[in-house]
Amino acid sequence: MSGWILFGIVAVLIICGLAVTAIAAFGLFKFRYALNRMHAAAMADTLGIMLILCGLIFATGIRFESLKLGLIIILLWCAGPVSSHLLAGFEVATSSKFQENCASDTDEGKDGKEE
Amino acid sequence: MSRIRNNYENSFRARFLRYIMGEDELPEKNYMSDFRKQIDIEKEEDEKATEHYLVPPLEDPMSDAKRYAEMSGLRWFRRLYSVMAVLLCIAISALLIYNVTFMPRFGASDSPMNNEVTERYLEKAGEETGTVNVVTGLILQYRGFDTFGETHVLFIATIAVMILLKIKKKDKPEEAAGEPVGGDVILRTIARVLVPMIFLFGFYVLVNGHLSPGGGFSGGAVIGAGLILHSAAFGFSATARFFDEKIYDIIKVGSLVLYSMLIIYYLFTGANDIDSVVPLGKLGNIISSGLILPINILVGAEVACTMYAFYSLFRKGGI
Repeated sequence: MSGWILFGIVAVLIICGLAVTAIAAFGLFKFRYALNRMHAAAMADTLGIMLILCGLIFATGIRFESLKLGLIIILLWCAGPVSSHLLAGFEVATSSKFQENCASDTDEGKDGKEE
Repeated sequence: MSRIRNNYENSFRARFLRYIMGEDELPEKNYMSDFRKQIDIEKEEDEKATEHYLVPPLEDPMSDAKRYAEMSGLRWFRRLYSVMAVLLCIAISALLIYNVTFMPRFGASDSPMNNEVTERYLEKAGEETGTVNVVTGLILQYRGFDTFGETHVLFIATIAVMILLKIKKKDKPEEAAGEPVGGDVILRTIARVLVPMIFLFGFYVLVNGHLSPGGGFSGGAVIGAGLILHSAAFGFSATARFFDEKIYDIIKVGSLVLYSMLIIYYLFTGANDIDSVVPLGKLGNIISSGLILPINILVGAEVACTMYAFYSLFRKGGI
């Protein structure tokens, strides 16, 4: 019985992680501007990977390997957002279209037309 | 991402519904107008460029565009193209998955991989090379000549990049101006935590190469990544405090020379059937397996130097 509960937890966590990653991949192709695309991709970097690795931790049980998986989560949560931050910084610093892409919310219509 | 749109009629769903209901044409019509505009611009540029040649005026500039716009075959080709691309992808993946069914089960005893060669290595590697991780024993001892060549390839690659990219001292812009300042606060804070751990992990992989998965190449790559992160976060001048060009030269050349000497000794004793003077030690100890541990460390130093040199040469033209 407890084995089935554990299996259920693992399955739910991994499926949630896969779903988040799939949504991130969808957003990566759906959005038009680099910063929007990064916003979508960052979900896979952090939440998706954390859910999948948590599922694996539950699957391995309390062992040395699960500690290693936890360390992987910490490393990725340190490294992923920082690299996204640096990439976004470069985009803001170097993009010539930054002003027109990050204009106010009122002038919609660009969003839908050019795709 | 969570902004509310004012114009839902322009969303993908609405346009798709309109297309289904037949109220709207495909969005491909935009391509045609873009194409016309492009042609106009090109014609104008051509006229500007050829004004002073006194050539007779060209034909009606719209004629080409009109002809293309009437070609509905182009639109059909685009649709057919995307459909065919998806079908091709599905067919190829189906073929690959079908092929997988012919492969032997994972870990099956009668798979073609498990022949007498593998058996021989698995049985004798422990006592012959003193390694628990048979892969390291393989690449550094049974096939040591191959790894020796690979390490030389790394060295030669660095030399080639240096020939192309190294900037002479006198041509360098002023140190203060040319030197990239360290990264921003977030990067520096994270690097302060991560860099020591990366170095430690790299060294662990390096010296445990004969006991657990890892070895010279992977450990060296980890240490090189740590060096790159350090210089990206704190600037090249900070890295140069413990790893400047002089130390780089000593480590790079010294480790290759030492490695060559050790491998020559290996080959000489092996070819002439002489017993090596280096004891193999107890299987599983950290100090064991004869010369494999020092060779791992030397290869790691070589790989780490190569990685950092590539980064540094591409970024500022020097080490």
